[in-house]
Amino acid sequence: MSDDTIEERLKTLIVETLALEDVEPSSIENDMPLFGEGLGLDSIDALELALAIQTEFGVRTQENDEKNREYYYSVSSLANFIRDRQAQAADAKA
Amino acid sequence: MSFSSESVLGGADHLLRLAMAGLTVGLYTLLSPFGYTFFALLYLLPTRDPLARTRRLQAVTAWAFRFMHDWLRALRLTDFDPRLALRDVPPGPKVVVANHPTLMDVTSIAAALGGGVSIAKPTLFRRRSLAPIMRGAGHVEGPGRDPLSARRALDDAVTRLEQGFTLIIFPEGTRSHPGMLHPFSRAAFEIACRARVPVVSVAITCEPVWLSKEVPLRRVPRAGVPVLRLATLAVDDPADVDFSSRRLGRRVEERFQHWLAATVCDRPVPPSEPSKDASCPTTPSKSA
Repeated sequence: MSDDTIEERLKTLIVETLALEDVEPSSIENDMPLFGEGLGLDSIDALELALAIQTEFGVRTQENDEKNREYYYSVSSLANFIRDRQAQAADAKA
Repeated sequence: MSFSSESVLGGADHLLRLAMAGLTVGLYTLLSPFGYTFFALLYLLPTRDPLARTRRLQAVTAWAFRFMHDWLRALRLTDFDPRLALRDVPPGPKVVVANHPTLMDVTSIAAALGGGVSIAKPTLFRRRSLAPIMRGAGHVEGPGRDPLSARRALDDAVTRLEQGFTLIIFPEGTRSHPGMLHPFSRAAFEIACRARVPVVSVAITCEPVWLSKEVPLRRVPRAGVPVLRLATLAVDDPADVDFSSRRLGRRVEERFQHWLAATVCDRPVPPSEPSKDASCPTTPSKSA
């Protein structure tokens, strides 16, 4: 699986899971902030997205982790977070 | 330069109200520590029924807010009688959502409804002087910097509704400029859907504008006594939208936008405020 695939899958996941009617996955830039002035997601969207990421990528986001704000900042940061967690899981299995 | 008797009287009236505002701030600064201490003592009294204590402290808070609004009305700083407002709101647990033009919004709603819990910012919730009020009266600590910490706040808010309390939320998240609405957060509607309670939309206006983001406490309006009005726009049952918080939020937000376009933008604009053309085009865009 290429690195780009995670970004693209994430964009589709965001649009479909959060039912963003006026947004095309291709219009989401990798470094665009997901919350506030960027894509305009809110805290309920974050909860739904975390659940969807767990289902789609098998990566669970810990609650009450101050770093979640960094992980969920943009598609790029979220993709890096998923890659890191998947690599950690692979190392643990090896 | 000549002055009409009307303008001299108007100037004197404004100066008097300015002095009353100063007096109110001074008395509040002097006496509020006693009020906080009294509330903390009530909170610390041993009880076998914590829920009954929460209800008592809610009633004390509502009484204090009514007193505050009576005081402001007596001194002609604002014109608002909580006993006459929101009398058509249904009893029982509910989520009250409102626009947020002034600093008096939460106190006026709680005074009119006889109480209500709100979701407070963690910094406010944990402030030592306010902690007994926040915890004692059953308010909910809002989510922190972690975007996923909303889950705990949602669960706590749903619990409060299940206990029979009214939840007061400003879905804009912050005070709005006159004639404008910030995009609504979905939290209030998600909570209502999970708790299966109605959403009551309350429209707030304050004319002339005071205690808004643009007009702080020290700028008592010259144009007259600010009239604070609360009006019930609608009561929505989440079952009507199959408990979809997204649909419920969109429906309520659109209703507020229509109300704003029909009401606020038709009012005469005092010279101290931005023109209607600048302030009326309502909500900043949101993609979702």
